[in-house]
Amino acid sequence: MQELLLQALYSGVLVGGIYALIGLGLALAFGTMRVINLAHGELVLLAAYVAYTMESAYGLNPLLSLPVAAIVTAAASATVYFLVSRIRRNRELNSLMLTFALGVILTNGILLIWKSDIRSTSTSFMQDAVQFGSVYSMNSELGAFVVSVFVAIALWYWLSRSWYGRAVRAVSSNRDAAKLMGINPAKVEVVSFLVAGLLAAVAGTAIYSSGVISPPLGHALTVKAFIITVLAGVGSVPGVLLAALLLGVAEALTVTFFSSALQELSGMVLFLVVLFVLPNGLFGGQKRRG
Amino acid sequence: MQKRMIVALALLYVVVPVLLNGNNYILSLLVSSLIVAGMAVSWALLGNLGGMVSFGHAAFFGIGGYASALLVTKLGLPVMVAIPAGGVAAVLASVFMLPALRLSGPYFALAILAYAHIFKILATEFSSLTGGSAGLSSIPGLPDIFGFNLSSRLGAYFVVVSLVLVFCWVYGRIRRSDYGTALRAMHDSEDATRVVGVNSLMLKSWMLFVSAFMGGLIGAFNAHVINFLEPDYAFNSAWSVLPIVAAIFGGYRTVYGPAIGAVVIYLVDQLVFKEIMSTGHQLILGAVLAGMILFAPDGLMRLFKRKPREARNAHA
Repeated sequence: MQELLLQALYSGVLVGGIYALIGLGLALAFGTMRVINLAHGELVLLAAYVAYTMESAYGLNPLLSLPVAAIVTAAASATVYFLVSRIRRNRELNSLMLTFALGVILTNGILLIWKSDIRSTSTSFMQDAVQFGSVYSMNSELGAFVVSVFVAIALWYWLSRSWYGRAVRAVSSNRDAAKLMGINPAKVEVVSFLVAGLLAAVAGTAIYSSGVISPPLGHALTVKAFIITVLAGVGSVPGVLLAALLLGVAEALTVTFFSSALQELSGMVLFLVVLFVLPNGLFGGQKRRG
Repeated sequence: MQKRMIVALALLYVVVPVLLNGNNYILSLLVSSLIVAGMAVSWALLGNLGGMVSFGHAAFFGIGGYASALLVTKLGLPVMVAIPAGGVAAVLASVFMLPALRLSGPYFALAILAYAHIFKILATEFSSLTGGSAGLSSIPGLPDIFGFNLSSRLGAYFVVVSLVLVFCWVYGRIRRSDYGTALRAMHDSEDATRVVGVNSLMLKSWMLFVSAFMGGLIGAFNAHVINFLEPDYAFNSAWSVLPIVAAIFGGYRTVYGPAIGAVVIYLVDQLVFKEIMSTGHQLILGAVLAGMILFAPDGLMRLFKRKPREARNAHA
């Protein structure tokens, strides 16, 4: 019993690391542009399929396909930005439906190109087990977690120390004031979508290395990313990280102690409870949504 | 306007049935397209009047279908009683969604999506009642009324076309009423509308209930037409996506736009896109939705309406 619990907590934390990258990407784009990119999970899946193609066609280790995946998802993310920025009227609702449509396009495009089969990595090193005390994981799961934490720290560093990172935060908190300080919001928005695309590339490669992928996964990842940003409240990197770990653990506990069919239910219930009981999120500040 | 109405009714109730009687394939496509049309009206009512975009209308569709099917197969209720009861069941389910009305924009949209997922999982897990993922089969069809067999393709067509017309009529009535005015005012400023004494939460709740009832009713009707239900089908995201595409395509700020958009989109999708590519033809639906939002957010109906006026201005 205790071993099961430990194992569930461990697996949940590991997968939570990947969720954090996806959630951060969504939160970043939402911060600067006030747009929920409902195609974000599909971008992550796109990166995963790029890794699959590189591995199956050229025998590349998924990690080595990261640069290609990064270029593809950054370009796709920038395309999402340019389309959304064309919307003039009622941007909040229209951008929601536009990115939803882009997600449908991406999912079905992936379905057309890569078919509906379930894919997973064939690199055996990725699937080898690694043990700490009584808990196990695959090499790739542990690796993905470590990489995710490093990327999250790098992102936090970029946001708090670099000029562009500060500009992103400035535009997020007050667009007009940022403009007066000589920041071009459009440029900052592009940068935030590009960085979101890079995060998606890392997350997608990690998902492909440590699990299975199929076309419907993208939509599920979008929903998870949204749940995380709701749990985290007004975006801060540590808040998103904690919320992602919480979601990962909640899912792992549900799978271990109830049934794997209920995995998604746990996230949904967590989401609704937090929305209704703590509308500012678990780690949110003053702002209310509603 | 009156004359156009009569022509439209004659077309729907006389010309189409006479032309298509016997052509069961086209008739059943038409029935399916009108089912989507009913969902599109239900979605547009909430999206336009209530100002709330929902990504989970499949919840109402699935609940209505399951409730009606179970009432008939387990309790032996007559089909014609069970179908409205399916609508009522969807309203009861929407009571659980009332807290979501506090949310706006993406938060509301995705909260409803979460509800749709939850109901789908419940339908799968309560297998003793719902048959689980295997689903319910041999659900009784529509009965005979005055010697006319409603379960035939033509009968189903008459029922669904009447349902969609009633939905449009209700939608139009609400829109023209004082409630419609108040709801429109809420779009501009919810706070200002509240200040002048409008109970905005109450109005939004009513819109949610009416929308849920329509969705449940159509879902219940569909269950008795296809005689089969499973969670993956009844709560399929297609029942959330198609109505959005249809309503945006037809113009969700108009009364008949969503229904016309649904029939056009569904028939074109089934007869053309599906022929071109059997898998992934939703890709084109996504492209249509994206294109409409970027280039014609008011829908096609508006485009057609605007043209003559511009032409007239050019002459003057």
